[in-house]
Amino acid sequence: MRGVRRGPAPAHLVWLVVVVGLAVVVGFSLTGRGGSPDAARRAASLDAVLKCPSCDGISVADSSASSAAAIRQVVLARVRAGQSDEQIESYLVGLYGPSILLDPPRSGLTTVVWVAPAVAAAGGLGGLALFFWRRRRPAAVAVTSADEALVDEALAEAAGWHGARR
Amino acid sequence: MTAVVEARRRGRHTARWIAGTVLVVVAALVALLATRPPASATEVFTPLLGKPAPAVSGTTVTGGHFDLAAERGRWVWVNFFASWCPPCQAEEPALVTFAYEHRAQGGAVLVGVVYDDTAADARAFDRSAGASWPAVVDPGGQIALRYGVRGPPESFLVSPRGVVVAHLDGQVKTSDLDGQMAAATRDGL
Repeated sequence: MRGVRRGPAPAHLVWLVVVVGLAVVVGFSLTGRGGSPDAARRAASLDAVLKCPSCDGISVADSSASSAAAIRQVVLARVRAGQSDEQIESYLVGLYGPSILLDPPRSGLTTVVWVAPAVAAAGGLGGLALFFWRRRRPAAVAVTSADEALVDEALAEAAGWHGARR
Repeated sequence: MTAVVEARRRGRHTARWIAGTVLVVVAALVALLATRPPASATEVFTPLLGKPAPAVSGTTVTGGHFDLAAERGRWVWVNFFASWCPPCQAEEPALVTFAYEHRAQGGAVLVGVVYDDTAADARAFDRSAGASWPAVVDPGGQIALRYGVRGPPESFLVSPRGVVVAHLDGQVKTSDLDGQMAAATRDGL
């Protein structure tokens, strides 16, 4: 019986194994099954600028609401699919409107909504100040000597009355 | 002296008038808030208006299957609901009436989408209310996301051509649903 001699594996076979292994690792990360840290980081930064649609002023990243969880899932899937931040934001704005962004772009109407209450408050305060200023202003009717005489007379009467009581 | 007294009296008179007016306004507001009808649905803008309705397809709470695409040619109200949501409970009789009236005519279709709720709770809720229309489960909330839903109840009217033509936020009445369909028909949508 002739023994089979097993020598070292040929170099090209080793290279083949290395290349196949690398391809598997790269493919695994690209399909997202393993999850790439870069994609997760990008998704997390996007989650932080998106507003949870069913909460009050909380980001998708900070909310445990189911709507926020659904958005996180979509963001991660789209990041992994190679979409840009703008494409993902625009997709969500197309569903929820600009209010899905924590810092929505300013429009003329938005500015009016923010400025109008301040203007109304300033107007109200101004009106109140004017009202009190007018009340404190000296009376338009000038005090005559006859008025002063009347006051003096009344004071004298009061003094006499107090004196009589003592 | 009399001028000063007169001015003071006038001032008191003005103060009484102001106090009286404020009192009347507050009383009117209280009366208005106390006697107004319960909150109902409001028509709210959605970026989906005029666009093809996102897919609503999946398993129903009773184990069946529903696909919105198969309803093309009919009006469809897509209603997002949850058993834990009080306005959803309050609107259920109106939906039952709507479904009954339109089933008899073979017209509009009503489909529920379960929002952040278990299929078992949603099924029990539908059963107790007498709901006969399909309710699709939405485990990951992806249908709700595609419709931009913020919180139940929200209802979307899909035209026979498969386009979103109305969005109602809050508790609906049968007249809201019929009114929106009539308006959309009038507008040729």
